[in-house]
Amino acid sequence: MIDKSSASFVQSLCMGQVLEEMLVPFPTMKKGEQEMLEQVLASVNQLLAPRQKDFREWDLAGEMPKEFIEELKSFGLFGLIIPEEFGGMGFGSAAYSRVLQEIARHDGSVALTVGAHSSIGMRGLLLFGTPEQKKRWLPRLATGEMIAAFCLTEPGAGSDAAAVRTTAVRDGNDWVLNGDKLWITNGGIAQFYTVFAKTPVPGDGGKAQLTAFVVTSDMKGVSHGPHEDKMGIRASNTTTVLFEDVRLTADHVLGGVGKGFKNAMKILNSGRTGLGGGCVGGMKSLISLATKQAKERKQFGQPISSFGLVKQKIGDMVVDCYASESVVTVVAGLIDGGYEDYAVEAAISKVFATEALWRTADEALQVAGGNGYMREYPYERVVRDARINRLFEGTNDILRLFIALTGINQVAAQLKDVSQTMKGVLADPIKGFGVLSDYAKKTAAIRTGLVGDNRGFTKLHKALEPQAEEFEEEVREVAWAADRILRKHGKGIIGKQFATRRLADILIDMFVFACVLSRVSAALQEKGEEQAARELEIARVFARRVRHSVRGNLRRIDVNDDELVKSLADDAFEREAFGWDAR
Amino acid sequence: MPLKILVTVKRVEDPESKIKVKPDGTGIVTDGVNYKMNPFDEIGVEEALRLKEKHGGEVVVASIGGDKSITEIRSALAMGADRGVLLKHEGALDPLLVSALFQKLTEQEKPDLVLLGKQSIDDDQNQTGQILAERLAWAQATFASKKESLESEAEQKKQPGLVLSADGKKMQVVREVDGGVETLEVSLPAVVTVDLRLNKPRFASLPGIMKAKKKEVKEIATASLGVELQPKVVVKKLFEPPKRAGGAKVADVPELWKKLHEEAKVV
Ligand SMILES: Cc1cc2nc3c(=O)[nH]c(=O)nc-3n(C[C@H](O)[C@H](O)[C@H](O)COP(=O)(O)OP(=O)(O)OC[C@H]3O[C@@H](n4cnc5c(N)ncnc54)[C@H](O)[C@@H]3O)c2cc1C
Repeated sequence: MIDKSSASFVQSLCMGQVLEEMLVPFPTMKKGEQEMLEQVLASVNQLLAPRQKDFREWDLAGEMPKEFIEELKSFGLFGLIIPEEFGGMGFGSAAYSRVLQEIARHDGSVALTVGAHSSIGMRGLLLFGTPEQKKRWLPRLATGEMIAAFCLTEPGAGSDAAAVRTTAVRDGNDWVLNGDKLWITNGGIAQFYTVFAKTPVPGDGGKAQLTAFVVTSDMKGVSHGPHEDKMGIRASNTTTVLFEDVRLTADHVLGGVGKGFKNAMKILNSGRTGLGGGCVGGMKSLISLATKQAKERKQFGQPISSFGLVKQKIGDMVVDCYASESVVTVVAGLIDGGYEDYAVEAAISKVFATEALWRTADEALQVAGGNGYMREYPYERVVRDARINRLFEGTNDILRLFIALTGINQVAAQLKDVSQTMKGVLADPIKGFGVLSDYAKKTAAIRTGLVGDNRGFTKLHKALEPQAEEFEEEVREVAWAADRILRKHGKGIIGKQFATRRLADILIDMFVFACVLSRVSAALQEKGEEQAARELEIARVFARRVRHSVRGNLRRIDVNDDELVKSLADDAFEREAFGWDAR
Repeated sequence: MPLKILVTVKRVEDPESKIKVKPDGTGIVTDGVNYKMNPFDEIGVEEALRLKEKHGGEVVVASIGGDKSITEIRSALAMGADRGVLLKHEGALDPLLVSALFQKLTEQEKPDLVLLGKQSIDDDQNQTGQILAERLAWAQATFASKKESLESEAEQKKQPGLVLSADGKKMQVVREVDGGVETLEVSLPAVVTVDLRLNKPRFASLPGIMKAKKKEVKEIATASLGVELQPKVVVKKLFEPPKRAGGAKVADVPELWKKLHEEAKVV
């Protein structure tokens, strides 16, 4: 039996272990939830489909009207993940993600307004709130009477969230909050803020830790700046939020004093399926647009859809969209299935889906040609809207570092054991030899694939045998690579971002591949080989894509241009310019 | 005068989905097809709800179909209907059978008014309401519409288009006829089928969907209703319309004439 509190598919993968039961069978929603979801989706479409023209205007205006936000409220879109007992829909991660997908098909700004509320704004209350806190605020958050915002970022604290300078200082039983937050989604329309501030730890020499607080807009000292003029998602509200001597009673502390950093990360991880769903929705709508466009547009006497280079783009979009939906669904399934350590997998879903959407938006615009560049068509707006996803809720670069470094945690721990025992070997050769040979056996098993359990998938549909075999082979190589990278750099790996990124890319490829295999296998089982033939094709294409990119990344562990590239960058930093002009 | 209204809903292929005929012509390819409530039925549900909002009473939704048809009943409940009845049936039906089954249900439920869509957009037969009225020997008014436009103030205020008399015994129905509208008065109980311009149906809010979960949906096996379930009209074969051959541009009338005469052989 798998221990749901600690099992991580990707961490095990780095050890050469495939925790099949975490991914197979491909997760599905409960029947009742599925039925309700279908109705919600149908209604969401009725609400949003007639507004195409409005969305375009609101993008230009850089704002959505108050009346529309009221409509969203009375429609109930702010209660998606709030339990029924507090007046919400009680959706799990999978259903929530699916709703955001549907919203994002119509408009990114609306998806973000709803998503920032549920994915991050009020999620802390749901995850860590006391029963009293929940009773106090959840009902109003469910109806949208209160819209929520997540306030972490500050001018000096972006990727480095621990550098927050907003402070909350004890005053008797109360706290007094001071500080400025930057680029807060829903900042100007929210009534409920989850705010992260530094709180001095008593008796720890003034060392301060992060603590989350609930702040409401009606409190004295709370204000917000003007709506930012942005590149994309322009109708979504982004402002500074300012706190000046805001007095908070102790029951506004959320999730424990000093636990803010961990909790902020937990909120972001738990909310990732919302953003992932949004990306999938964006891709689906782009595929509809681009395929229609390509069939209608004629050049050289033929619809451009008949040209290989156009087909290549569309085919890649389909594979990207399928893979994104697979990984987002698996992560939602892990969360809804009670797994607790899904941070790496969730980060992978965010990185993959946001980049897949970016590729898709870019290529859809290319298919549309000059029309794609015109505001009359939706492509340019989708491109602008899609860009933010790679930046917020953790930049994809930071997330890559996180994926790799957390992914190899178990390997590092094992290696540490080994080096510990190396010392031990001298003191107690017999005992030391036992442990050492254990690890030696394991690494031998990893390399040869001859011994050991859980080396690959065993429950996939037989039509996927070649891909499953490839996967198994690659798992061995990944484990070998993790071991090798760690031996090469040791603790210094933290500073070796080129190598870390490479490992991250390998892990992203491998996990998404595993999710695709699981989904295609489920499709084959459910519909039979004939009906699922297309999905099998997707698995084949994706397998080859992964093979190619994993191989390349493995090769470059030892042979690469890292130092050269670094020195070029350093040179450019030195000059603060490009150094040559052709004559 | 409170009204008890029975309104029917059918699960149909979403017209937005791409419909493809199976190669052997026995039906359509269902993979990838979405389903929804017949749009005319949505208008029926909306009208029933408006009548109830104005006069009080009860709105009962009914559908005939497999387990999946419960989705459409739930949609109507989420819009605001009070309870549902699913006449469980798998397999082919025709309007004669559908109306026979609804007759049985009408006799059980004893509503003052039965509202149906004028037709369902899958088979487009436009017969069920008429046959049902005949079977019940009730008054009927088909293609219900209203004088005001869908942009009018009455529509904004969600006023019903069907007008109940002060004594609650009669109903005025504006119906669409070729080139205009005609006003009928029917005595209740009656069967009314609704047309496109009667109202703009509301859509369910999420709280509405939550409430609908708790509403009663009774399931009745069609076999238990004492109707001989053998359709008299069967679909033998489906096929797609022939692909339109591309048109051609002609330079002048003489050329057109020549083409019509020699190639098309129509003049
Ligand atoms: C439209 C919009 C909405 C937002 N909404 C919210 C919100 O609701 N709540 C909220 O709290 N925040 C929000 N943000 C802030 C967002 O989360 C941050 O912009 C993001 O975390 C990145 O921080 P930064 O902009 O300060 O970039 P920086 O941290 O300065 O990063 C700049 C670049 O440096 C790289 N970098 C930084 N550190 C490292 C490192 N250690 N190693 C390698 N590379 C590194 C980054 O990857 C990035 O490419 C929003 C931002 C935008 C633009």
